[in-house]
Amino acid sequence: MKKDKDFHLSDPTWCAGCGIYGIFASLKKAAVALDLDPEELVLVTGIGCHGRLNNHFKAYGFHALHGRALPVAQGVKLSNPSLPVVAISGDGDAYSIGLGHFIHALRRNINITYLVVDNRLYALTQGQSSPTSHRGYVSASAPYGTKENPLDGPRLALASGGTFIARGFSGNPKQLASLIEKGMTHRGFSFIEVLSPCVTQNKVNTIQWFRENIIQIDEDPKYDPRNRTQAQGKLTHEGKIQVGLIYVDDKPSYEDLVMPDRDNPLVWNDLNPDIERFEKIMEKFQ
Amino acid sequence: MKIKGKKIADISVMIAGKAGDGVLFTGNVLAKILKRQGWWVSTYRDFPSNIRGEPTNYTIRASLEKIYGQADDIDVFMAFDCGAIIDHADKIVKGGIFLCDGLGLAHVAPSRIDGRTYHIFPLRKLARENFQSELYKNMIALGALSHILDLDFRVIEGIISETFLKRKGKKIVRKNIRAVRLGCQQAKKMIEQEEIHPLVEKKDSGRLLLSGNEAIAMGSLAAGCRYFAAYPICPATEIWQWLAVVLPEYNGLVIQTEDELAALNMALGASYAGARAMTSTSGPGASLMMEAFSLAGMAEIPVVVVHVQRVGPSTGMPTKTEQSDLDQWVYGSHGEFPRIVLSPGTIEECFEFTVKAFNLAEKYQCPVILLTEQDYGQNLRTVKKFDLTKVKIDRGKLLNQEELEGIKGYRRYKFTPDGISPRALPGMKNGLHMVESNEHDQNGYRDEDSENRIRMMQKRMRKLENAAKDLIPPRVWGDRESEFGIIGFGSTFGPIQEAIAQLKDRKIRAKYMQIRTLWPFPRKKVEEFLDSCKEVFVVENNFTGQLGQLIRSQVKMPIRIKNIVKYSSQAFRPQEISSQIQMAVR
Repeated sequence: MKKDKDFHLSDPTWCAGCGIYGIFASLKKAAVALDLDPEELVLVTGIGCHGRLNNHFKAYGFHALHGRALPVAQGVKLSNPSLPVVAISGDGDAYSIGLGHFIHALRRNINITYLVVDNRLYALTQGQSSPTSHRGYVSASAPYGTKENPLDGPRLALASGGTFIARGFSGNPKQLASLIEKGMTHRGFSFIEVLSPCVTQNKVNTIQWFRENIIQIDEDPKYDPRNRTQAQGKLTHEGKIQVGLIYVDDKPSYEDLVMPDRDNPLVWNDLNPDIERFEKIMEKFQ
Repeated sequence: MKIKGKKIADISVMIAGKAGDGVLFTGNVLAKILKRQGWWVSTYRDFPSNIRGEPTNYTIRASLEKIYGQADDIDVFMAFDCGAIIDHADKIVKGGIFLCDGLGLAHVAPSRIDGRTYHIFPLRKLARENFQSELYKNMIALGALSHILDLDFRVIEGIISETFLKRKGKKIVRKNIRAVRLGCQQAKKMIEQEEIHPLVEKKDSGRLLLSGNEAIAMGSLAAGCRYFAAYPICPATEIWQWLAVVLPEYNGLVIQTEDELAALNMALGASYAGARAMTSTSGPGASLMMEAFSLAGMAEIPVVVVHVQRVGPSTGMPTKTEQSDLDQWVYGSHGEFPRIVLSPGTIEECFEFTVKAFNLAEKYQCPVILLTEQDYGQNLRTVKKFDLTKVKIDRGKLLNQEELEGIKGYRRYKFTPDGISPRALPGMKNGLHMVESNEHDQNGYRDEDSENRIRMMQKRMRKLENAAKDLIPPRVWGDRESEFGIIGFGSTFGPIQEAIAQLKDRKIRAKYMQIRTLWPFPRKKVEEFLDSCKEVFVVENNFTGQLGQLIRSQVKMPIRIKNIVKYSSQAFRPQEISSQIQMAVR
């Protein structure tokens, strides 16, 4: 049995109190719970403070371009479905520059896990507004207040046909680890938004603010995450931020539909051309 | 038109109409008939980016000699409406023949103007009256052409049967054959013996008739490409459509992405995981790929990008041809990184260079661009069967599990004398590493130290320093002793070859250098060629003379070159090159 330290490559250097520490810990816990090996796990990150996860988490890592973690992660997974793949983005990465990829990854339903670290601003570039900053939020890019309305990731995911939608909180690594673990065992695309305060740039959405503004979705004893209408209702309801497992669906994954031979990933195929078979292909052009 | 004895040795048939008339279908059937009768065929489409209504034309050229492009003139013209005549009258050769659906005009006696014969041929009326559907106008037209060209009816029947039997059944096959016969009979009544253009008889030898796009798709399959990601765009989509059918049968995967950003990034993800991966695009799609092109350079991930050039800038003319994206791939994207840009000139080279591209990408761990054009990307040509015994797969310094376990302290980006570091794949034991879009150290982890930066930059850039031996060298054609030189790349191959033959007839000897690797630039060979010429003409389908500029920037000698450019959205005709050279040298 592996331990947390088997996935610990080095001590992180995020600001003290940064939410990403909680995500780092949760991800390790989930990997241990799933009995993964660092050499089979692939972690694809985008650009932002979360992108440093690769430097500290022991696994195969790919630090992609800004917004492009998802296409890379999907390419990895389809070539070698035997590898567990986790993609991680920030809110700018996922909901702004990479938004097109997010929606289509939800539609496509490839068996990977996607964590979106939401600190409600651009931290690495010194505190500009992001798609999740609330209207009126004063930032480096909006000194007179943000004029746009914020975007709700889980709500968007539900509308886009997501099959596993959850929201965690970096301040509750135990629940987050359990959500990640569930997501990684889900057969299809699992999306987990993680509320993660930025202690340096964001003086409004602090850890205390999040604590006061979140509500556990399963506090409602009647809540059934397989009920789409209920999920829609909870997510549309103005007020507290719903946290927990929001929605699960059993649609077939992309691999279920297209992979000709899942036990024989295409990366290990013999590539030398079968000449006889090729002659037959050429005949069609005669 | 070329004549041999009393028969035709080179002929061009233009079929024109409006988009939606079935011009492409009719032309493709004719091309296949001519190919089956043993001729070398080359087609040329001039279509709008539109499904219905706008003028469109398709030229099928057949020759006893191997051809690689369009001729100077049109010999036989079949039009589904009168408007087409006005648009193309100037291209019809003397002695040529026009057949045109009068669109309700009464049948009139043939008229001869300036040595050309004009016939009203009521295609739609015949179709309606005999088959109760205008759809049959295409087969009636084909029948008329079969009379004019004296085609072999058994070949026609065979092709019609292949085309319709599976999809539509016996009844439709018979109906179509009847339509061809009707067209042929009507033409016999109307057309005099001296207007007939009988072809020299030849035999086919199992050759193929296909487009450059199809040859590239087939080449990628032969090369072991098993992952293809793309976004729909003209004129590159045929590559995808072919692979979409075939790759799943090879345990491979074709995926439609949300945009070209995703297409190249996905291909990079797949390649990083160990697949041979490719994407294809054109015009604006290539601009979106510039971002990930740079990532491929930095992260040293092998990938093949096919760019079938169309008319730019912006949306430009999506279904027409140009060579204006050379600069984009030679100089493009942010930062500096090694890349290889190949330019096939023929359908055979489309196949061969694609196989080569995958090997080069893995050997040098860098992006390889196959830069082609709409001209030979979408048009059909005859080629001999591809020789699969020549396909050798070289995966470069890709490690297997056993080799990897023998390495102590594996480093993905290890500094090596040739700059190329052994590659491990995710999932392998003992190969843990990081792939970074940031500058990184030998393990792949982000590193902003200046010393490391210098060494890493040099490591990447030195990969191609000694690649010349593996790259496809320029090829010299024509009279090597001559003092007039022509340089070109890609689709200009055919028209330049024919221009040289035309110049020879006019007692001007010329030679031609076909540049097949645009980057790394084959400086030495080009310098030798330039050195052997008194005058040099660079022929290219763009406004600014991008190849000319590239040559000027790369060769270390004072040179005088003249650019012959064309940016009308059409490929060169031989005469356009030979006449400009003739004027310049006289």
